[in-house]
Amino acid sequence: MTLSALLYGGKVDQLTSFFSLEFLAIFFPAALLLYGVVPKKCKPYVLLAESYVFVWLISGKLIVFLLLATLLIHYCGLWLDRLQINMRQALAEGESDARKVIRAHFTAKQRGVIALAVVLLIGTLLALKYSAFFAGNVNTLLSLFPVTLRLQVPQHLLPIGISFFTLQALSYILDVYRGTTKADDNLPRLALFLAFFPQIVEGPICRYHQTANALWNAGSIRFENLTQGLQRILFGMLKKIVIADRLDPLVKTVFSNHEAYDGAVIAVAAVCYTIQLYMDFSGAMDAVVGIAQIIGVSMPENFSRPFFSKTISEFWMRWHITLGTWFKDYVFYPITASKGMKKLTKRSRKTLGNHYGPLAAGSVALFCVWFCNGLWHGAAWNYLFFGMYHFVLILGGSLLTPVVRWLQRVLRIDPEQWWYRTLQMLRTTVLVIIGELFFRAHGLLAGLQMFERLLTDFSLQPLTDETWVDLGVDRYDLWIVAITLLLILFVSVYNEKGVSLRDHLSKKKRIFRWAVLYALIVYIVVFGAYGFGYAPVDPLYAQF
Amino acid sequence: MEELYEMEELYEILNELQPGVDYETADDLVDGHVLHSLTILALVAELEDSFDITIPAVEIIPENFNSAAAMGNMIERLQKGDWQ
Repeated sequence: MTLSALLYGGKVDQLTSFFSLEFLAIFFPAALLLYGVVPKKCKPYVLLAESYVFVWLISGKLIVFLLLATLLIHYCGLWLDRLQINMRQALAEGESDARKVIRAHFTAKQRGVIALAVVLLIGTLLALKYSAFFAGNVNTLLSLFPVTLRLQVPQHLLPIGISFFTLQALSYILDVYRGTTKADDNLPRLALFLAFFPQIVEGPICRYHQTANALWNAGSIRFENLTQGLQRILFGMLKKIVIADRLDPLVKTVFSNHEAYDGAVIAVAAVCYTIQLYMDFSGAMDAVVGIAQIIGVSMPENFSRPFFSKTISEFWMRWHITLGTWFKDYVFYPITASKGMKKLTKRSRKTLGNHYGPLAAGSVALFCVWFCNGLWHGAAWNYLFFGMYHFVLILGGSLLTPVVRWLQRVLRIDPEQWWYRTLQMLRTTVLVIIGELFFRAHGLLAGLQMFERLLTDFSLQPLTDETWVDLGVDRYDLWIVAITLLLILFVSVYNEKGVSLRDHLSKKKRIFRWAVLYALIVYIVVFGAYGFGYAPVDPLYAQF
Repeated sequence: MEELYEMEELYEILNELQPGVDYETADDLVDGHVLHSLTILALVAELEDSFDITIPAVEIIPENFNSAAAMGNMIERLQKGDWQ
């Protein structure tokens, strides 16, 4: 395995999909088998070696970025730890009137270490991911002036998961600085926390305290964990292979050639893309959680039935949860809790009251969060627009809350009534779909043109059988997608009510449990979009 | 008795910011999406004023705001000058 891994470095990018033959039939069983047979004390090292083989096979020599990031945060973490110990010693030995000076001295030093880590980690990400975008835009600006100077537009290859492991590395170093995580002197444990192979492709973005020790101490594979984990992987496979990949031809056709279609087709494509993205990404997360569950590790969930959200703000608490909490913890609250912003909040609360007062500081922080969120997804104007779109929706929602509450009182509407909540969910879903249209569009201009078409050129006439066939799907595809979506909706409704169908199933007789499992496997095999006539679809979030 | 007084004051603050919640029993105020980011900002400012404390960003985590009891513990810690 090791020799062939060396030979195939950077050539097996099919492994980015957990449902590819290469991953599901070769890498994953081999990795699991090896992990299962080695003695307990070797297991974390085997897991780390497998993770590095995985990254090597996908990214080849670009693995060096992951290794350097690991060494950097390991060293900076220990440096911060040493400074904190020295500070405590100096505080204990120093006079009480000198404590402020001592604290300021060591805080400045620690901030220097943080600045070094942030500059190197974010600097690498900016250089690799954003330099072409930056240079391209500077050249566009330069072309407006009578100068011949142009920047060279660099074309860098991105190591797999750099956007994810950079945020994870930053969270570790910032938590050590804040004192909420102790610096880890065990380099392989820290390395495994950053590189664990299922999570490095698309997250979730874990915190050190959530997974580092759990991964390091993961024990033998227990039968119960194996079956539960495999069930979760199968559920993810259902989402990805049966729904997401089946919708891919339609989405690809319309978004790549949007000028040829009118508003109705564009609307259908935007809806299909939103479904595809959710099924693709949450399906991959099911696989990550399932794989970790097999070795007894509980990963943080990234989705919590987002389309049951009543507001956009709530949607982002349920969609890509670990990214949202990362921005909240390391961007939103540090900005709003800074001295200047606190003063602003206190002043504005006196004049604007408890609702609008915090909005002044909150909107500055919210802007930064959504600017970073948009840019994190990709170096293009449509991603920035996507971020700003959600910023405006969330801020607008907060501004209108008192008005909406007043209207509810005047019109005697109980916001907990089912029809009102359903309307709120529908409105949120429509707003999300519009955002995803810009997110998927080939550039901001294309997104704007498609949106304009939605408003000005909309008729249901083109939605005939012939149109569907032209778009790469047929009636059979649509029926399969619809029925599978209903199945997932059924599970989601129960989960939303706090009922776990999986727990319910685990209490049933063995024959029934296996019958359900086999039925699911047969359903995926029969109705999955793979093989002849289907091109494999890369996981959508792996590109970020 | 000092602590009881603080809790009553805390309940008052919470009810003023976000009425209609039983703060004596609720224990998922952040995780259950009862308190949103902007409400927490107002709450932080109000707690700082009322209890003469400074709440640093590192303390603004769900564990410290999920229940009135957790907020009470945080206030007590910060009044003693004990950061996390």
